[in-house]
Amino acid sequence: MSILTLLFYAIALLIVAATAMAVTRRNMVHAVLYLVLSFFGTAMLFYLLGAPFLAALEIIIYAGAIMVLFLFLIMMIRLKKLPGMFFPVGQLLPAIFICAGFLAVSSVLVGGNPEGWTPMPAAQASPAAFGVYLFQTHWLAVEIASMLLLVALVGAYVLGRRVRGPSADTRKEAP
Amino acid sequence: MNWILLTPELTLLLAAALFLVLACLKPDPRRDYQLAVSMAALTVAAGIACATMSGDLFNHVYRVDLFSQVFKALLSIGFFLVIFLCDDFQGVAPTHHGEGYFLLAVCTLSMMMLASAVHLLAIVLALELSSYSLYILVFLRRDSRWGMITGLRYFLVGASASAIMLFGLALIYGVTGAVHVDILIQRLPAMLDRPMVVTGLLLTLAGFFFKLAVFPFHFWAPEAYQGAPNPVAAFIAAVSKVAAVAILLRIISLAQGNSDLLTRGLIAMAVVSMTVGNLAAIAQRDFKRLMAFSSVAHAGYLLLGMLCMTPAGYAAAMFYGAAVLVMKYTCFMVMTRVAEDGGNLQIDELAGLHRRSPLLALALMMALFSLGGIPPTIGFSGKLIIFVAAMQKGYLVLVIIAMINVVISLYYYLLVLKAAYLDEPTRPRPAISLTIPARLVAVVMIVLIVGLGFYPVALLDLVQAAVLRLP
Repeated sequence: MSILTLLFYAIALLIVAATAMAVTRRNMVHAVLYLVLSFFGTAMLFYLLGAPFLAALEIIIYAGAIMVLFLFLIMMIRLKKLPGMFFPVGQLLPAIFICAGFLAVSSVLVGGNPEGWTPMPAAQASPAAFGVYLFQTHWLAVEIASMLLLVALVGAYVLGRRVRGPSADTRKEAP
Repeated sequence: MNWILLTPELTLLLAAALFLVLACLKPDPRRDYQLAVSMAALTVAAGIACATMSGDLFNHVYRVDLFSQVFKALLSIGFFLVIFLCDDFQGVAPTHHGEGYFLLAVCTLSMMMLASAVHLLAIVLALELSSYSLYILVFLRRDSRWGMITGLRYFLVGASASAIMLFGLALIYGVTGAVHVDILIQRLPAMLDRPMVVTGLLLTLAGFFFKLAVFPFHFWAPEAYQGAPNPVAAFIAAVSKVAAVAILLRIISLAQGNSDLLTRGLIAMAVVSMTVGNLAAIAQRDFKRLMAFSSVAHAGYLLLGMLCMTPAGYAAAMFYGAAVLVMKYTCFMVMTRVAEDGGNLQIDELAGLHRRSPLLALALMMALFSLGGIPPTIGFSGKLIIFVAAMQKGYLVLVIIAMINVVISLYYYLLVLKAAYLDEPTRPRPAISLTIPARLVAVVMIVLIVGLGFYPVALLDLVQAAVLRLP
């Protein structure tokens, strides 16, 4: 067993443990911090597999931007802790059912005859080459995605004003 | 790159940018409405002027041909009609009119892209853009009883449909290794006997079925129609269906008619959609809910045309898509004018409409006859063309089921008509005053419904030429 394999399993174990902790914590802030830890682990895995750019993106976007946004939201909304079981039985049973099904299907797939399998060719590209490819062949998609973000921004603004209470004109109308 | 090909899209982009700026300034509903109508008129002019252009743009990701341009012209006309309906826009707070027009423009823009995109990545992103703008448009409803809950429900169903669609696309990419429609056309037909490809195609179609409100993905429709501001409901019911037809034709034509499994799946969905939609519509008392279930039924008829997988079937579906635009818009136009303060309309509130506004009552009658398939209306010719295309493929049983459904649907359409023409109102209501442009639009809609019923050949020739661009 090479040092890389050892590292891989160690990191994989870390990810699974951190994610399990994130799912089961009642305190939302703790859950988010565990999730950040799990994202760091995923980034290390990407680095091990020879994709340093993806590793950097994982840390900057997922662990950095998105999770910090989550933290902001949790601190702003101040969710109350709900009493009772974390998962009600009505949700737990279907979840277990689906997990069992997934386990059965994937064990059949993994244990199946590996004849006729072809590994996907690994693609490696420098960040510069990747950027040139993205903006040359997919720049329409990039533009649409940017408009999607703009619409999301407008939506967040409209919703944020709605949540804060009825706006001035609706209050005037109410008798 | 030839930017002239993009004129309709660029006009809409300009309109969207304009209203983004105006939404940040002091709100002025009058000014916003006049600007929106003039921008929409410009879009219609651009859409019709570019109708015969063709070419490839953005590194062959975006295809401009007769197929996409006819859909773009229809979409721009629908956009104009819906904007025209916003003259009082009571369902949305005056401070949010700018955002409303911005989102309508962005949504129409994304639907135009959906009609033209031939790369799966661009298709997915354009679909998401159109869905997200619609979610927020539903949220904009001033009455917080409706907007919030229905918007959220619409969003959740839509997000699940997107997830299912992405899974299907991943399966297709996994098997074929291609994401461009041109390459898929070459590789897919040989692999259509594999269950994985058919599953992938059906799951991919799920995302578009959500837009069209086909049976297992129709649960959002009644709530979203009921909760949305009235012009937005008209937009969802009429305009977004046209875009859904465009992209469904593009994806279904990939199979090139030689997939038995896919056809069977589509037949099941078409039959269940028609039946569920029509039976559920009978029990509705709210006009918008009734129209929502009637949309589900019409999605079934549209699917019947598409699943023939012949040029005749595609042309029939395209013709019927245009017919749905005209018919549904006319119904929602009448509803928006009759409903007070942008509220929802119960069917018995239509009582005495023929005295309050004979023109609107006539428009409603024509639209309902057309939806029910009574000659000589555009709905009758549309259904006839679809049934003929299905008969050519030998789907006799399917056509009989569809005809039984048409008869069922006549019952509840006539109930609405009875409320408008025969029932006496419980309390006298004032006559509805219409502006001269509003009268003009109502007359034009009536003329379109009857005119295309008598003389469908002009539109039919156009769509038949357009579907030849499909493989």
